[in-house]
Amino acid sequence: MIRFEQVGKRYPNGHVGLHELSFRVRRGEFLFVTGHSGAGKSTLLRLLLAMERPTSGKLLLAGQDLSTISNAQIPFLRRQIGVVFQNHQLLFDRTVFNNVALPLQILGLSKPEIAKRVDSALERVALSDKADLYPGDLSTGQQQRVGIARAIVHRPALLLADEPTGNLDPRLAAEIMGVFEDINRLGTSVLIASHDLALIARMRHRMLTLQRGRLIGDGEAGV
Amino acid sequence: MSATRSPKVSERVAPKAADPQPPKKKKHDEDDGPDFATLLHAWIESHRASWIDSLRRLGKQPIGSFFTCMVMAVALSLPMGLSLLLNNVERLGGSWQRAAQISLYLELEASPAQGEALRDQIKGMPGVADAEYVGREQALEEFQQQSGLGEALRELPENPLPGVVLVTPNEVDKPTLEALRQKLSELPKVQQAQLDLVWVERLAAILKLGDRFVFGLTVLLVSALLLVIGNTIRLHIENRRTEIEVIKLVGGTDSYVRRPFLYMGALYGFGAGLLSWGVLAFGLNWLNDAVVGLAGLYGSDFALAGVPVADGLSLLLGAVLLGYIGAWIAVARHLRELAPK
Repeated sequence: MIRFEQVGKRYPNGHVGLHELSFRVRRGEFLFVTGHSGAGKSTLLRLLLAMERPTSGKLLLAGQDLSTISNAQIPFLRRQIGVVFQNHQLLFDRTVFNNVALPLQILGLSKPEIAKRVDSALERVALSDKADLYPGDLSTGQQQRVGIARAIVHRPALLLADEPTGNLDPRLAAEIMGVFEDINRLGTSVLIASHDLALIARMRHRMLTLQRGRLIGDGEAGV
Repeated sequence: MSATRSPKVSERVAPKAADPQPPKKKKHDEDDGPDFATLLHAWIESHRASWIDSLRRLGKQPIGSFFTCMVMAVALSLPMGLSLLLNNVERLGGSWQRAAQISLYLELEASPAQGEALRDQIKGMPGVADAEYVGREQALEEFQQQSGLGEALRELPENPLPGVVLVTPNEVDKPTLEALRQKLSELPKVQQAQLDLVWVERLAAILKLGDRFVFGLTVLLVSALLLVIGNTIRLHIENRRTEIEVIKLVGGTDSYVRRPFLYMGALYGFGAGLLSWGVLAFGLNWLNDAVVGLAGLYGSDFALAGVPVADGLSLLLGAVLLGYIGAWIAVARHLRELAPK
């Protein structure tokens, strides 16, 4: 699914975001990327989302080389990915339904199909009764679940999450992680960047540890 | 959407085997890939939604939108108004073509019959639009009326004025007129052929200068207009920055992001075009009363023409295009910033 081969990212100001990173992620795998602030977690996610390009090495996602992918192809690559942000990135002038429907509207699906899939995604995150509300009417945990519903509504092959439980209390964080595991059980690869080691340890999934842009650990969490 | 009990996560998620959702992306595509008719419908729906969204956003700020359109309308009205005025001046030049007449002063002994025969002969000549014979008596009478020397002229022993044939040429072009004057001066019974071209040359020079001025002003104001619309759309983009970033991250193409802003630019242009058309129609109508009064003092029935429908439609189309182009430039700049580096 994902293949990093000696991937490096150096910014114009000389800062090295990632240093010759190499690892693979299988289809349907669940893994965490952890490390302190500035370790390179967000850079790694930005590379996978083609928001940035590697400055060296080769990065393959679903068979496509992200080092050489054209700008015109990027939207179509992103349609295979779902992304969850720490700050949700919800649109507060749209209802929950319309926030979740956005990826499907972009895909050009019919209205009945959109309604069906949005209902299904909201049901999966237990927000079926909130579809007509606006994000501002929801709690932080519910907003995060709307973000997850939007990320999975188009049935992506890969789900990326950047500190998805960063603003949540431990109970809500565990609940959100449960949602991610449910999604993973349906066959979606899940990659979560988080520095919450206690939470990660309880999950017992593969964990990559980054430090100053280098991969210093690759194994099962909590072992 | 009715309120229902939210089931627990474990209850909500069906077992993997029972879930109709295939686990692999490739299989999704095969199962769910929309056909051409669906895609076409979705494309039309997307455009419709963009139009409505753009209209809704403009409608939410009616005063701001109106003033933006008004600024654009003023910028459009200046060159267009000047151009229309020049067209009217050119028309006025055409109506004064009579003043470019060649006056043929006949010999004193030429009889009225000879004068009329000469007029008929000249009427048939190429380059001549019309010819009119003014007999000696009629000339004296007109001179008495216009000069205010009626009593003094009546004291003269005989009429000193010759008969005149007034020739109206087809074209107000200096070489052509000069050639015609030369030809007419060689006709029998013609003592002198007189042509005053100075005003024709002056008018042509003024019109040429006006054309250039309008062109320069148009270029300048079109640039200003692009900046106005570009800046307005840039503000809309800033207000929707998060939305654009989210759309891009969930797979929206540049054209998907661009579309509502282009429609917004076109709507601004349409509003500005309509306002400009109205301002020009009103302005010309308002000026017309004064122009008709002035022309009347010179014995002319000249009146300003309004905004021709074709010109108005061109103005509208041009404004829509300018709005569209201005918006395109603004969005393109923003999209470049979002491109991966």
